[in-house]
Amino acid sequence: MNFAFSSDQQLLKNSARAFLDEHMTPATVRLLWDDPRGESETLWKEMGELGWLGLSLPEAHGGSGLGMVETAILLEEMGRAAVPGPYLPTVLAARAIEESGTDGQRKRWLSAIATGDARATLAFLDADLDWRPEATQARAEKRATGWTLSGTKRFVPWAHVADVLLVPARTPDGLTLFLVDPGAAGLTLEPAQVMDGATRLVTVTLEGTPVAGDAVLGAPGQAGPLLASLLRRGAVGAAAEMLGAARRCLDMAVGYAKVREQFGQPIGSFQAIRHKCAEMLLEVENSHSAVYYAAWALDAKAEDAELAPSVAKAYVGDAARRVCGEAIQVHGGIGFTWEYDLHLYFKRAKALEAMYGDADHHRELIVRRVAA
Amino acid sequence: MDLTPTPEDLAFRSQVRRWLGANVPAHELKTLDERKAWHRKLYEAGYVGMLWPRELGGWGASPMQQAIVQDEMARVDAPPAINGLGIGFIGPTIIVHGTDWQKQRYLKKMLTAEEIWCQLYSEPNAGSDLASLKTRAEDQGDHFVVNGQKIWTSSGPIADWGILLARTDPKAPKHKGISCLLLNMRQPGVEVRPLRQITGSSLFSEVFMTNARADRRDLIGRLNQGWEIAQTTLGFERGSNSLGRVTRYAIAFNQLVRAAKELRRDGRPLIEDPRVRAKLGKIYAELEVQRYAGLRVLSALNRGESPGAASSITKLSYTEFEKRYYELALEILGPWGQLVTAREEFEEIDTSSGEPGTWATAFLWSRAGTIYSGSSEIQKNIIGERVLGLPKEVRADRLKA
Repeated sequence: MNFAFSSDQQLLKNSARAFLDEHMTPATVRLLWDDPRGESETLWKEMGELGWLGLSLPEAHGGSGLGMVETAILLEEMGRAAVPGPYLPTVLAARAIEESGTDGQRKRWLSAIATGDARATLAFLDADLDWRPEATQARAEKRATGWTLSGTKRFVPWAHVADVLLVPARTPDGLTLFLVDPGAAGLTLEPAQVMDGATRLVTVTLEGTPVAGDAVLGAPGQAGPLLASLLRRGAVGAAAEMLGAARRCLDMAVGYAKVREQFGQPIGSFQAIRHKCAEMLLEVENSHSAVYYAAWALDAKAEDAELAPSVAKAYVGDAARRVCGEAIQVHGGIGFTWEYDLHLYFKRAKALEAMYGDADHHRELIVRRVAA
Repeated sequence: MDLTPTPEDLAFRSQVRRWLGANVPAHELKTLDERKAWHRKLYEAGYVGMLWPRELGGWGASPMQQAIVQDEMARVDAPPAINGLGIGFIGPTIIVHGTDWQKQRYLKKMLTAEEIWCQLYSEPNAGSDLASLKTRAEDQGDHFVVNGQKIWTSSGPIADWGILLARTDPKAPKHKGISCLLLNMRQPGVEVRPLRQITGSSLFSEVFMTNARADRRDLIGRLNQGWEIAQTTLGFERGSNSLGRVTRYAIAFNQLVRAAKELRRDGRPLIEDPRVRAKLGKIYAELEVQRYAGLRVLSALNRGESPGAASSITKLSYTEFEKRYYELALEILGPWGQLVTAREEFEEIDTSSGEPGTWATAFLWSRAGTIYSGSSEIQKNIIGERVLGLPKEVRADRLKA
């Protein structure tokens, strides 16, 4: 029983930190905030070369065959740097294709994703914003050759840069997952502007959008469990990113409290500030335990592998919001300025809090599991 | 990172489970003699003093094994061992700072609970500011004469021996004039008066020392080294209860769910009320995080790492969680949760004292955790200064020193 990272895992963490410190400085993040596309294509290719995009894909498809723990390690570092881009949605979609795809689908997408030549995303939420797969509203109708999809998918991350969308829709057989070309007829993309410039969310409207018969991912009518499993991975991934953002904010707050002087002494010497920092550390450390426990549970198929992701998302969502917010408080006025970098991480954490089910949603999932 | 239990740990766990199945007393232990007999049995089975070195009567076991024993005992609600302060804290202090004579004289009888120990640190005017203590020990050559008052002394009425902090040099700066002594509690100059707590029980006491005697051979370390000794962070027992504690929380949670299914409000079972469900979900998520954090601490201990000041994070985390837990539980249960003599389904919750009680007692007990062994505020100072490296606060007593 060992909770510490292996030397390989620590190496991955260190190299990710070094790479992002160099290539994803706050100045670069700010440039991407103002960029219409919002992500760096150069960085994406480099992430492919570093093996990050195929990290958890099988070696046969250009991947490294690693697990959710390694993915969480990368995501924590990306959260720490507030990296803009479709990393999490792409690896989630890749996972679904790898797990449930046909040989053809796997061949078409997995290597391309691993090398950085393709991006993917999950168009999950309908207009009523319900994170339960069974609440899906979009519909698919069978045609002579293939299907047509209709519905509105809200807050789809990075759909404007994606090469393929995973779209769940209701069919007479039940909930079915489709691989949809974003350029297909009757499909429109409408980007929304949200307060985190590193988060790009798009409304995807499907009006009789035709998809081919071989675009069904997994067994028709059987998408529920696959989607639930993807959302659990998404929850752990988002929690890992929030952890990274929270730790960055804590580090900035502590660093500032050591040098900022008021009343003739560093403000960190005042209990009002020191105690706040101690409480922030407590929540960051507990978040670390929650994220990596859940990631390990998924990899190990532990008996609580379906529960732990909800625990992590519920706990870390609340904790990251508080820690990043208190970091602003410790900084005072400077922390409220656009020029100071704190808000990059504060907003990144806030954006992720709502994704893959918020804390309330996951607490309800927990109660269904433990109080049935 | 791999949290899978090793085959050895699994085998050890089933061995412990079998032993407890065969040996846990069927009836409640009422007298001190009965509890001592059970303690002795646990000790002989190798389940007390597990981390102590073998040559001093311990078992040289791993922190993981010790945590497994605590966890299995929690699962079956086995009566705990006694003398916890002695075995967890005072004994290790003697092991690290004591003389050979002291080790020979005291340690084995502490392990077997032949002699019960208490801690004589806090005073009415020396709580968080422990170094301002006023109890005096006057050096008479072969012995010290002790006068003063201690408070919050757990196990005071049953204790045979106490570890005492007393001022031996009133002229020195306050941290530098304190010595650490072992005090015989069974002498005419020592009077123990029970103190009643907000739970209604009297588990701790006041201790009055009037010309009490402590032998010179019972001085721990050097004269006036007491503060330093009291500050030593000792690697024994910490984290040992990390699994058992959470198992107790989880058992109580199941009882809470059962109650929420039986009790009705607004014409439906509580469990169907979204407000109740949100509270249950919050408790369970935090409870699980405590478990993960406990595994993390345990894994560090098992690798031989000493958490040092970081153990303040653990203490702060679970004691503050306990308060939130029982506050939410009582909100869910309403007046049912406040019954001191409760209906059967609400009885026998393990409180943070380790004693069975009702939800009301558990709720009341949860107020103690954030005060004892260094209040939450003191823990936050330690975390701020020693873990985060924030500057020390400018303090009047340090300026004088």
